[in-house]
Amino acid sequence: MSADFELERLYDDHARALFAFLLNFTRDPDDTHDVLQEVFVRLARQPDLLHAAKDQRAFLIRLAHNAAIDLMRRRGTRSKYHEQFGLDQVSPFAVAADPDEAAFRSELSAALGQLPPEQRAVVHLKLWEGLTFEQIAETLEIPANTAASRYRYGLDKLRALLRPLYEEIK
Amino acid sequence: MNGEDQFERRLQRLPQRPVPHAWRDEILSATRAGEVPRPARVAPRPSLLSNIRYQLSTLLWPHPKAWGGLAALWLLVLGLNFATRESPQPQMARHAERPSPQIRELLKEQEQLFAELVGPIEKSEADRPKPAPPKPRSQRHEEFLNA
Repeated sequence: MSADFELERLYDDHARALFAFLLNFTRDPDDTHDVLQEVFVRLARQPDLLHAAKDQRAFLIRLAHNAAIDLMRRRGTRSKYHEQFGLDQVSPFAVAADPDEAAFRSELSAALGQLPPEQRAVVHLKLWEGLTFEQIAETLEIPANTAASRYRYGLDKLRALLRPLYEEIK
Repeated sequence: MNGEDQFERRLQRLPQRPVPHAWRDEILSATRAGEVPRPARVAPRPSLLSNIRYQLSTLLWPHPKAWGGLAALWLLVLGLNFATRESPQPQMARHAERPSPQIRELLKEQEQLFAELVGPIEKSEADRPKPAPPKPRSQRHEEFLNA
């Protein structure tokens, strides 16, 4: 199998998940693009990188997470640019046709933006990647207890922020 | 609890946004070219202050409370040092006033009286005029011839 074909396969299999994770984590479409490209360029340069990985998806998210943190540090601030993008641009969810559902997704995206980035990362991996706390801990290089508490705090905050709208459209 | 589980499940069911179509070709062609992405926006050059802050936070991050405590201790020691420092000696000469004319007159009278009692005071060795330095040899020779 050629290296190009392998990269294309990896992209088709994982880019959507990486994209949603990065967009939710960075809240910045440009940073998301840069980090996604950086991850795939790295894979092209080091084809053996994934050989030892038990779970390719988790390994790629780990690469993306570390690259995103490096990029944010290089920029000098974590939230400097976030305000300049509209909620629809930074939402990691597909657009909904139903107005109620669209409103809920928009509110959820706004609520996610109020969580600290590391809490948001854990919430994302648990809810939308279905990882266990042990897998999240390994991916984000944090203790499993920390992952669990970040998830609990994050979910409680989302619930509090979305309760009125959720009760209404439930 | 059931309601909470429902909320969690409701969130889990949300579909993720697809990657913009154009990105696939961009990113895959970049991998062929081996291009490391450059930030779309020019990153602002960090100011000196933010650079110092970043370096300090990097340096102190492992134990910020310990470093903070040490800094507070140093400040306390410095403060105590300043608080207990002795005030500088008053400079007498600078602030001494010139004696009044009456006192000077009195001192002069006392000096005269002392001179009368003791006799003329010989000047000390240090006050005597120094003997003239020896003249150069050629000049001495000329004087000798003229004599």
